[in-house]
Amino acid sequence: MTNLVRSNFQAHPFHLVSPSPWPIFTCISLLALTTSGVLTMHGFSFAQDFLYMALLLVIFTMSFWFRDVISEATYLGNHTLAVQRGINMGIALFIISEALFFLAIFWTFFHSALSPAAEMGAQWPPKGIDSVNPFELPLLNTVILLSSGFTVTYAHHSLIQGNRSGALYGIVLTVMLALIFTGLQGLEYTVSSFTLSDSTYGSCFYFGTGFHGLNYVAPYIIICLFLKTKKIYNIES
Amino acid sequence: MLLRRSILALGRRTAVKPIVPVAPRVFTTSAARRAGEQGDPKPGEPDKKMMAFEDIRTEEDLLPPGAEPGTVPTDLDQSTGLERFEILGKMQGIDVFDMKPLDASRKGTLEDPIIVNSAGDEQFAGCTGYPVDSHVVLWLNMRRDRPVERCAECGSVYRMEYIGPPDDPHAHHGHGEEHGEEHGDGAHSYEEPKTFADFVRPEYRGTPQPHYRQS
Repeated sequence: MTNLVRSNFQAHPFHLVSPSPWPIFTCISLLALTTSGVLTMHGFSFAQDFLYMALLLVIFTMSFWFRDVISEATYLGNHTLAVQRGINMGIALFIISEALFFLAIFWTFFHSALSPAAEMGAQWPPKGIDSVNPFELPLLNTVILLSSGFTVTYAHHSLIQGNRSGALYGIVLTVMLALIFTGLQGLEYTVSSFTLSDSTYGSCFYFGTGFHGLNYVAPYIIICLFLKTKKIYNIES
Repeated sequence: MLLRRSILALGRRTAVKPIVPVAPRVFTTSAARRAGEQGDPKPGEPDKKMMAFEDIRTEEDLLPPGAEPGTVPTDLDQSTGLERFEILGKMQGIDVFDMKPLDASRKGTLEDPIIVNSAGDEQFAGCTGYPVDSHVVLWLNMRRDRPVERCAECGSVYRMEYIGPPDDPHAHHGHGEEHGEEHGDGAHSYEEPKTFADFVRPEYRGTPQPHYRQS
């Protein structure tokens, strides 16, 4: 290849991103989400309506931003190996921060449960809390959760091996298990006798399971986004 | 839709299944049939997925063939643009971005400087001395109109080789032309600050380099 032809293409592998409105849009919508969330939790009138609007705004900006990233990656070919290394690093850091976040959640639980304070009756669950029997619905949900881990790993390895139907079946099964898990978790919320504000037990329970549920719903949304991308690709078979 | 399609395919397969057992195909013919179905190139034939690196001219040549329907696409099937450029280069053992560090097997001298290739008008190079990493990184700035630079710490000499597109003789070059001075693209009319390379005595300079500015 001559130097003249080489100069038709970018000399370095890095992706110098073009000006984009989505960072500032994301900032604004996240600020709206936090503010309306705080107002909602403090019982301000109509704050909940603003919370839902802000949530929609966050989802919109995320979708538009992801759309741009998908275009840059698949159609413009901006994601060279150096760029992919950066993205891998970003995902790894995200997973580490998630893991540490859940470490904090477990820490609150163990802090309160392992040596219950006198204010809670020096017992765990605290006095007056009718706790969930872990061998009933939670056990079933654990089984479903681990099964979904199996199906998504099956989909992953099918994808690596070039087995398209295996990958699709694995993903569809995972989404179904995710929906069942989230439904059962919602059922558990409705039948449990305590609320978020019932002692540290209720706080720990809903904090942990709620954020775990959020982590379960987010991949579901991402998978839906991937299926939508597949549609953009116009792959019919 | 996925399930329905599979059931249909299953039904079709069952429907056309011959009741009379056919003679089993010998291995060689089945291999030939498979080769025909898959469309793999024969030895010596060009692969439609593989554009030879030398044949790439423009962005158009970096459009992918796309995967066969019903398969899991690979990067070679559907990557485009710079990503494809890099992959096609890698498949022929070419590092298209030239990411390797500069030649540090010797200390550059004015007679035999370390060559720094650059596609632009200006290039920074980080010197760590000889042997490698014998001092902290010192960044040297080379330009097309002053390509030689010498490290103030270890004295190693670098020279920028311009490998970008050739200049258009009809294009205007910066503001320097108005003042009757010779400058590269984006050049200015004020005098460049002198560098260490400018203060080497003539008797130590050896043969003058072609783009080297005599002070």
